[in-house]
Amino acid sequence: METGKIVIEKVRGKSTVTKSFSKYPLKFIIPRKVGPSRVDAVWIYALTYGGGIVSGDDISCKLEIGAGCTAVLTTQASTKVYKSLGSKCSEQSLEAEIGSNSMLVLIPDPVTCFSTARYFQKQVFRVRSDSNLVLVDWITSGRHESGEKWDFTHYKSTNNIFLESDQPLFLDTVLLEQGSIVPLAERMQDYQVIAMVVLLGPMLRHIQGQVQEDVKRMMAKQLQGSPARWDRQMKSNTRDFANKPSLIASCSAFGQKVHLIEAFSMFLSLNSQKRL
Amino acid sequence: MEIDMERNNNRKRPASTDLPLQWSQWQLLDSILPTGGFAHSSGLEAAIQTRVITGPEDLHTFVVHVLENTGSLLLPFVYTASKSPSADTLCKLDRMLDAMLTNEVGRKASVAQGSALMRVAASVFSEIPLLKTMRDNFLSSGAVSFHHAPIFGLVCGLLGFESETSQRAFMFITLRDVISAATRLNIVGPLGAAALQHQIAHDAEAITEKWSNRGVEEACQTVPLLDTVQGCHGYLFSRLFCS
Repeated sequence: METGKIVIEKVRGKSTVTKSFSKYPLKFIIPRKVGPSRVDAVWIYALTYGGGIVSGDDISCKLEIGAGCTAVLTTQASTKVYKSLGSKCSEQSLEAEIGSNSMLVLIPDPVTCFSTARYFQKQVFRVRSDSNLVLVDWITSGRHESGEKWDFTHYKSTNNIFLESDQPLFLDTVLLEQGSIVPLAERMQDYQVIAMVVLLGPMLRHIQGQVQEDVKRMMAKQLQGSPARWDRQMKSNTRDFANKPSLIASCSAFGQKVHLIEAFSMFLSLNSQKRL
Repeated sequence: MEIDMERNNNRKRPASTDLPLQWSQWQLLDSILPTGGFAHSSGLEAAIQTRVITGPEDLHTFVVHVLENTGSLLLPFVYTASKSPSADTLCKLDRMLDAMLTNEVGRKASVAQGSALMRVAASVFSEIPLLKTMRDNFLSSGAVSFHHAPIFGLVCGLLGFESETSQRAFMFITLRDVISAATRLNIVGPLGAAALQHQIAHDAEAITEKWSNRGVEEACQTVPLLDTVQGCHGYLFSRLFCS
């Protein structure tokens, strides 16, 4: 049984919510006036009672975006995942169907898992060849001020995109688990945020190109060139070059060009100095 | 008297009856096999140029991270292909892995290595004509990208290796190639590299055991930073490696 469902269809030429249902612990807020009125888009805020996800919560949500519609799904604040009680895992899942010539913009605040939290998130998108999707999935290292840095027990996030129901276009699962062989904090190397952005669809072509260029330019400035021997390196480099960059990003295209799907995923890791 | 001699001879023979198979195994793992693995650094070159690696200890950590991510993401593909070395399974695994390798640099590296391995295996292991038949069919249909992990599993499966061996072998060649890249990038000497490889073997075995024998629905990235860093390879001005 779903915890929430939203259907958006074109009514009198405007993207309109024709069905909206949610039950505890999920709540939708659909304000009427968010963006400028000349932009046709429905804004949906997903909230959880208590402001976070409690151990054992299981929230599943279905989204149907009809042809020609635009919908934005976001949150009111960061998703806090509280500590796990009795090894219970909290789960959130989203299934979205994006119709022809439609756009879904999924831009939540980041997930923050508290110490010992266990969390699993699964998002499945079914798109047409001319659907558009902006997807942001990101996570912080925890409650910084309390000294929690990558201190949760288990975090797993799956984002799958299928073309015309069954053709896998993009399958990504990240699993961050406390481990004995390779400690989690060590895997993250002083970075405190990791984010993934997917830009898919013909309407986003100009942004895709812009993002690719920007990431390339930004990273090229950070790169060292051929490495000298390490002992000489530390003396001859400027202070900037001595350390890891505060932001590492890379941008890749995926999907077969023949379907005219240009899509990019960008991975960002930010260290604590960089303000979000 | 004769019975005693027979017993002695049997005791001297190793338990495994498939000795020719060991020769094929060793040849598959030998770096001299022309599969082009040496063109790829598993993101090491990018990690150095972004200063994620600044010293020998960082290198040790990096290699272990590469093995962990390889185990979690790719071993399920090696396992499944080796257990069921058919064209049908290969096609499904290839298509799925193509969607999972979202970092373009890693994706292209996988295709390059898989294609080369398929070509070499079809040519070298001529006692298995199915390898050549499959390769020809895949090439003419264009439906297969020739990703490395499934092809590796397929070849091992058709050769008759046990799936545990196949998975360990894949981890071994991953370790072998990144250590080799470290030598060629001049961040460690050949002797130091060999010592490092041996030191890491213990962790490599633990990682192999942890991620072995899983279905592909369990495949995941466990060191996402590596993926981002490897993706930067295309931004490097001067590079020795393809990835």
